[in-house]
Amino acid sequence: MKTKNKKQTKMRKLSMATGMLMAVIFIVSCKKEKVAVVETVTSKTVTSLPADTIVGIASNGQPVGTGKYSFFSIETNSAVASVDSNSKKWDIGLRGTTIITNAGTSGPGSGGAFVYTGTFDELKTIPADSTFRTDNAPMSYAIPTGSNKGWYILDFVTNLLSPIPGRVMVIRTANGKYAKVEILNYYKGGVNPAANATDAEKSSKQRFYTFRFTYQSNGTKTF
Amino acid sequence: MKYLVFLFCLLISSSLAAQVNVDSSAFKQLDDVIVTATRSPRLLANVSIPASVISAKTIYQSGSLRLNDILSEQSGIVITDNFGKGIQMQGLSSDYTLILLNGEPLIGRTGGVFDLSRIAIRGIKKIEIIKGPSSSLYGSEAMGGVINIITDQTGNRKTDLALRYGTFNTVDASIDVARRIKKMDVQFFSNYNHSEGYSLKPNALQKTVEPFWRSTQQITLSQPLGSKWKFSLLARHNNTFINNTIAVTNGGNTIVSRGFEKSNEYNLNPSLHFKINKKISTSLRGYLTEFKAMQELKIKDAFGSYDDQFSQKYRRIENQTDWQIRDQSSLIFGAGYVSESVESNRYDDLSTKRKNAIAYLFFQHEEQLLENLTFIGGMRYDDNQVYASVVSPKAAFQYKISDKVSFNLSYGKGFKAPDFRQLFLNFTNLAAGSYSVFGTDVARDEIKKLSDANLIDQTTAAFNNVSILKPEISGGLNAGIKMKTLNGIDVNINFFRNDISNMIVTDIIAYKKNAGQVFSYFNLKNARTQGVEIEAGKKVLNTISLKAGFQYLSTADKDVLKAIKAGTVFERNLATGLASRMTISEYGGLPYRSKFSANAKATYDNNKGLFTTVRIFYRGRWGTNDIDGNGLINRTDEYAKGNVQINASLGYKLGDRWDVMAGVDNIFDYKDIQNLPGNPGRVGYATLQIHL
Repeated sequence: MKTKNKKQTKMRKLSMATGMLMAVIFIVSCKKEKVAVVETVTSKTVTSLPADTIVGIASNGQPVGTGKYSFFSIETNSAVASVDSNSKKWDIGLRGTTIITNAGTSGPGSGGAFVYTGTFDELKTIPADSTFRTDNAPMSYAIPTGSNKGWYILDFVTNLLSPIPGRVMVIRTANGKYAKVEILNYYKGGVNPAANATDAEKSSKQRFYTFRFTYQSNGTKTF
Repeated sequence: MKYLVFLFCLLISSSLAAQVNVDSSAFKQLDDVIVTATRSPRLLANVSIPASVISAKTIYQSGSLRLNDILSEQSGIVITDNFGKGIQMQGLSSDYTLILLNGEPLIGRTGGVFDLSRIAIRGIKKIEIIKGPSSSLYGSEAMGGVINIITDQTGNRKTDLALRYGTFNTVDASIDVARRIKKMDVQFFSNYNHSEGYSLKPNALQKTVEPFWRSTQQITLSQPLGSKWKFSLLARHNNTFINNTIAVTNGGNTIVSRGFEKSNEYNLNPSLHFKINKKISTSLRGYLTEFKAMQELKIKDAFGSYDDQFSQKYRRIENQTDWQIRDQSSLIFGAGYVSESVESNRYDDLSTKRKNAIAYLFFQHEEQLLENLTFIGGMRYDDNQVYASVVSPKAAFQYKISDKVSFNLSYGKGFKAPDFRQLFLNFTNLAAGSYSVFGTDVARDEIKKLSDANLIDQTTAAFNNVSILKPEISGGLNAGIKMKTLNGIDVNINFFRNDISNMIVTDIIAYKKNAGQVFSYFNLKNARTQGVEIEAGKKVLNTISLKAGFQYLSTADKDVLKAIKAGTVFERNLATGLASRMTISEYGGLPYRSKFSANAKATYDNNKGLFTTVRIFYRGRWGTNDIDGNGLINRTDEYAKGNVQINASLGYKLGDRWDVMAGVDNIFDYKDIQNLPGNPGRVGYATLQIHL
């Protein structure tokens, strides 16, 4: 699992003036929280995290995985073994397109989530009137499942899945702290297969999450 | 865009070359009579809505065999390639265009698309096209426009045989016979069409287009009964047979299934005309048509075999009365009753018949208000058994400034009734993800059945909104000018705008325990299409005619426009992974719509049997599929490439009896495997015709 700082890439895209303005805001916000570690406002990127990848073909012709979630700790930026599924060690679980949080029917933690509409960068403070939802499987999930319902859209023509741009998952971790997560890609290597790739390729490369997140360790709702 | 410049250079040079000004219209059409625009014969020049006529001669000289061939060469019309050859007019898809044969509707659509390649166009008299909503005269489906195929009804003696051979072993043979037996005019037409199909991917197991066979038999007769009465009859049978080879690769195993699909279509149209006096005539028309399609695939594995059957019947009786009240004033009124039924294993077991009945009334009044101002107003009321009733009004004005310039303005309502599929479909695809689609009429029962069998994981919020579907409706405005410039160029300009609401889309109503999705239909979408169509033409030296056409089209999902304005629509830069707000100017509108399209045609005809044509078609880029996850067309890589195709033909008459012609379509062999599977690349053909 690779972790890299996305900030530099992002900066290049911004104009000089905006960049300077951002720098000022950055310095001001750092001044405010003198105690806070600098990493808390830095986004981290996780590339190609497997989430129940395809192991075979079911009798109905559908590709299937083993049915197990991949657990991930936002606090420690690391994968969590599935033996710890009933612990507070993980914050999000990924299986195919389903994303769970550590609370409700999914785990013993104080987790929760909702989907925010807007860009990752403009979400600086979790709005005061936000409602965190918890999982109530199989009826409902904090992150709604289904194409164009939660975080992704499935193109019925190409059969390719893409994260919806402008959707940020606001996550309450197992320990009740806050993070924002943006899914960037669902395929191995962080790039969609070509529209005319074979079904076999589309099937074998899917269920690999590339996402970035920002974790606020001090318990506030500000990133 | 350089092609557009080319087109207009062509026109301008033609006008400069026009030193010898022959005062005959390049749109020979202007002298043509059109029936479809007003349900009564009118000079094309006097029609106040966008209309055109394609003559049998144009069809012959273009080497067109099927309806899609010739329509693809018309300005403002695009042929789409999904569930067969569909038409797109004024940005509205095939679902919203009514196809008529001698004024009677043709049925049998797949996924809403009427496959135009079912219709052989040899032996017909002309094709009439009107654009914009005409539900005030024709009811459902006449939203984007109406195509009316008019067969030759005269008994002028002829026995014509034609044989054509072309690329991919394409064979087309026709017999066209007409006789006047005593006072009865009789025509017989028979066509056989076969092609071996083609493969755009050389190593693929399945061909892009599989071998097919089609045939049409048609007989029409008309018999005067005394001086006031006339009886006429059309009987037609059309069938198609297509080989099917479908290869599916799953987990490294390739499963090949083989089979066929075929369709049979019958039409029977008896009518009785009665001329009461010089001013009033009336007609009673009966119409019975049936469309039967089936597909059968044998698969060599656990999936078993696939068998699909669909049979639709449409019966109609209609009366129409034409009353010429005064010279400046006329009235048309009528009423009809339609009974429709469908039997299909897509809906139920084959023994269950799904039915609908429609009773309707219509009238249209035409009044010459001033010497140069004509008004037409009309309305139709459709009362339906299974969905809400609809009122469709229309009003049109024509103002003639001189005999060379006229303005036209019309506004009409159009509608499309929910079809049987949207009401009754009960379909589960076991091969691809075990998703299901249920029509609104059966959705609740089917979900309950699945739920009782403990197969439903959860239902969605949309499930609570499943209700009786309303017809999709549109309002269409057309404003145009027809003129003849001083140097003899005929110019037609028409601005159009269509606002469509209650559009029917699918949405997920439940998830199954095996993760399959369940869909149903909802009146959710609102869209608009607008643009301008320009046509110009000129005849030079009585032997050369030049024509050019252009369309600018802008389309949008209105709800998307609202969301973009509200700032809730984003796009993703796939290089950096960053999302940003999308702007209106980045929105590419509805998929499969080209913003620009244009054509130019040059025909040389020495009027002694020698002719040649060159036709150039440009279709600008069109949106195909979303890549960055917002479900919209906004990135340049979400478009299919714009392209130019050139067709040419050459013909010669050998004495009184023989005609030979040859042609090449798509001379520069343009192909786009991904986006234009129906385009085989360059094809050549030669035709031999004998008049006995």
